[in-house]
Amino acid sequence: MGWIDWKLRLRALVFRERVENELDEELRFHLDMQARKHRQEGEDSPGAGRQARLRFGAVERMKEECRDVRGVRWAEMLGQDVRYALRGFRHTPVFALTVIATIALGLGLNTALFTAFDAYVLRPLAVNDPYSLYQFTWNTRAGQEHQFTAREFEEFRNDNPAFSAVVGLDGLFTRAGGHMLLGNLATGNYFSFLGVNAALGRTLLPADSAIPESSPVMVLSYTAWKEKFGADPAIVGRKVVIRGHPLEVVGVARPGFTGLSEIPLDFWAPITMAPLLKVSGSFLPPQPAGRIVIVGRLKPDMSLRRAEAALAAWSQRHTAGLPEAEQSTGVVLRSEATTVPLEPEVLAAFAPVLLAFVLVLVIACANVANMMLARAMSRQREIGVRLALGATRVRLIVQLLTESVLLALPAAAVGFGISELAIELCPRLMLATIPAGYSEFIRFVPLHPDLRVFLFMLAAALASALLFGLVPALQATRSNVMQASRGEFLTDVRPGRLRNILVVAQVALSALLLICTAIGLRANNQVRRLDLGFETRGVVEIELQDTLRPRVLRAIRSLPLVASVAAASKVPLMGTLPTVPVGAAHRPERMPGRFMYVSPEFFPVLGIPVLRGRNFSSAEAAAALPLAVVSESAARLLWPGRDPVGQSFQIDRVPQAPGAARYGAAPPAYTSALVIGVARDVVSGYIGDAVDRSCFYFPQPVDMAGGTLLARVEGNAEAARRKLDAALSESVPGAVDQIHSMDEIHAAQVYPYRALAWVSSAIGSLALLLTLSGLYGVLSFLVTQRTKEIGIRVALGASAGRAAGIVLRQSLKLAGLGTGLGAVAALGASRLLASQLESPMFDSVDFVAFAMGVLVVLAASACAAYVPSRRAARIEPLTTLRHD
Amino acid sequence: MKPSRLDLLQGTLDLLILRTLQAEPMHGWAISERIQQISRDVLQVNQGSLYPALHRLEHQGWIQAEWGISELGRRARFYQLTAAGRRQLAFEKENWAQLTTAIGRVLDLA
Repeated sequence: MGWIDWKLRLRALVFRERVENELDEELRFHLDMQARKHRQEGEDSPGAGRQARLRFGAVERMKEECRDVRGVRWAEMLGQDVRYALRGFRHTPVFALTVIATIALGLGLNTALFTAFDAYVLRPLAVNDPYSLYQFTWNTRAGQEHQFTAREFEEFRNDNPAFSAVVGLDGLFTRAGGHMLLGNLATGNYFSFLGVNAALGRTLLPADSAIPESSPVMVLSYTAWKEKFGADPAIVGRKVVIRGHPLEVVGVARPGFTGLSEIPLDFWAPITMAPLLKVSGSFLPPQPAGRIVIVGRLKPDMSLRRAEAALAAWSQRHTAGLPEAEQSTGVVLRSEATTVPLEPEVLAAFAPVLLAFVLVLVIACANVANMMLARAMSRQREIGVRLALGATRVRLIVQLLTESVLLALPAAAVGFGISELAIELCPRLMLATIPAGYSEFIRFVPLHPDLRVFLFMLAAALASALLFGLVPALQATRSNVMQASRGEFLTDVRPGRLRNILVVAQVALSALLLICTAIGLRANNQVRRLDLGFETRGVVEIELQDTLRPRVLRAIRSLPLVASVAAASKVPLMGTLPTVPVGAAHRPERMPGRFMYVSPEFFPVLGIPVLRGRNFSSAEAAAALPLAVVSESAARLLWPGRDPVGQSFQIDRVPQAPGAARYGAAPPAYTSALVIGVARDVVSGYIGDAVDRSCFYFPQPVDMAGGTLLARVEGNAEAARRKLDAALSESVPGAVDQIHSMDEIHAAQVYPYRALAWVSSAIGSLALLLTLSGLYGVLSFLVTQRTKEIGIRVALGASAGRAAGIVLRQSLKLAGLGTGLGAVAALGASRLLASQLESPMFDSVDFVAFAMGVLVVLAASACAAYVPSRRAARIEPLTTLRHD
Repeated sequence: MKPSRLDLLQGTLDLLILRTLQAEPMHGWAISERIQQISRDVLQVNQGSLYPALHRLEHQGWIQAEWGISELGRRARFYQLTAAGRRQLAFEKENWAQLTTAIGRVLDLA
């Protein structure tokens, strides 16, 4: 069969009428010629025509055969099926609408999720040849990804073996004009490298990063220009003070470009400005650590594998002379083609959410499958008759599947609307619910649907049509002709069993989802109730630049609303504390001790009571003496049953990973310290880490380098925060990187748990709702099906209660089995979840959550059984038995 | 006794049609007349079944249909052999010859 065949088929499909007419004309011509011949042989006119038709055979059958040759019968049949199905839906609009709404919900949720996945993971960035861009670094023996120093970057740029061009990037996180600004310090070739041009003014140029500290310029992102600088048409030439240094805005990048990372950026400045803008907050040993990320474009003839080999050799050669911890153990080449690289870890992180959403769709499909099955059963007679009239089973299945697809497609359209709505509303909901000071952290890449989303939607719709349509279609067409013609339909078919399986599966899935919801709710509750051990109210946290520290401190102290100021190397709730091996004099073994440096004001400002001994004095802090205040739990661990005050402990020296100093993570220079006090236990890490197992506080003065300031203020902390921010950006512009009230920080930490609780509640209730309607449908069907039997039982003396009991028993049997299966699945799921989150807020086996989930499902099942069981109880034996 | 009218073997109709069209383009009725005439009425083409066969050959690209004017001045659908059809005819003739020789041998020996 060649292209001629397809050409003719296409013609038959498109010009159906014309081809039919031609066939008619051709056959008429034949019959006329034949009749003419018979007339010439002496027949009369009607006789000749009869003769001709006789010789020809059945005209209609021949036409059918000719049509078969055309091979477009399927299209014609499809047309028939579609018309037939639509007629059916017109008769049962409620059924059709229910199905469409149910599937649309499931599809909509999944499409919304996929749209986000697409935007972050699948859609290539709108830059030159994104698929040749790779971030390059290597893993060190210490298990960290290497970050380049400026010198290393130069070395690599000058003799890199795999890239045709490279850019160096460094992040910058600051505030200006009352807004949070996220930026990249980049080499001057950044924009030409990516092929991104300017909407206004110019982009960064290679000359900008030619000479260190020579080019105080910046380029704004289009969004930042519009939202944070009021779309000022005269922005080019204006100066913005970043960390105390005025940078001239030389241009605005073209719309839609927000950098390479998942968090949209506000500005770019030359990387050669880093020494001014990024005076490292290095703490104690002044060791400048690498911060530069390298992104390169693979040479055109370079395969990924060859590049990897060449770069591995380079990194090994380069790190050969370094201490062992810094030696390369293998290169990392991370694609920069999409916002988030498509890596197994990303998919693994995405999987649980995806699974929950897919399960909702599956439950919706099971529900609809049940409805379709009930409908197909009520059409048994029709189906039987059609089978008896010679329709093939395949033909009927195709017809029933056509119905499913016809229901799935409008569901996809409605689902698309739902997903658009969800995409529109979710960020708003987040912005409305997140603590105000953090709303600027909420940044999304644009989430507009594209061809991939459309294809996903179509595939999901068709898959769900198969899922909910195929089984009922197979089941319904199983009846045999003999039974159908006698009017017996349900003897050998066991639709009841299939429907039960579907319901059990649904109950199991919703039990699984609800138990997960309960776990989420309980974690949220636990986080909310967690006693932090310190007072968040009335405290404002300020992160700032070291160079401007004295001026900021002076400015803060001059404000009457500030009662006192403390400093700490790390503020509680802002990340996990670093550790150092510590040990008591009387015991040889060491334990990892979490530590931080604090000024003496730290304890009173945060309201942390010193339970025994005393706080540091200002003189001790100024001299940074080898003293320590330890937490209760640290005291219990090191000196069980003894008074820790007056004891001293050993601090081991360990090789530090480069960059550790930056976060105040470097251990003290002294090797032993004297305990002068015991403080109450607090939550010093993330809130999910719960109360510390140990904490060692070492003294530092309030103006310590790299410290974060904590100001206790009078009155409302949020109002005070605004006043402080305004006053500081007035007196020391660009000095403050972040300023938050501690209440806000706390709220932001609790937020993910709240969000988790909301989302899981929404998904769980949706699943439960769908399952209930499924269960209700099955039980109603059961009552209808067994009306006669129940009627006979009642006639023989069974009470109404017993009649209702039949339904309730059935309901409990299904629900019990389903919940059991769901609980087992949840056990596995929660183990997995707990191992991934590694937070004490999630128990791997939370019995209360399990009990909650199971109880809700069982109670809901009983509710769903109530109406059908009442109906069973009201069955009148007389009317029932007269029926049929 | 009149010679019995032979039912056509599946596939032989195609061969006969192709052979009939070898000389010139013809319409369907003419093809059926010609086959009957030449075979001296031994081969009775069931006239109706000619058309599905013609359409099948057309779809295979061996013959080509075109509307033309018949000898009596009426619009008729004329079929004509394509280059591929000629090759197919040669091939099928060869096949047929081999088949008949083989059957002949079997009959002679039996």
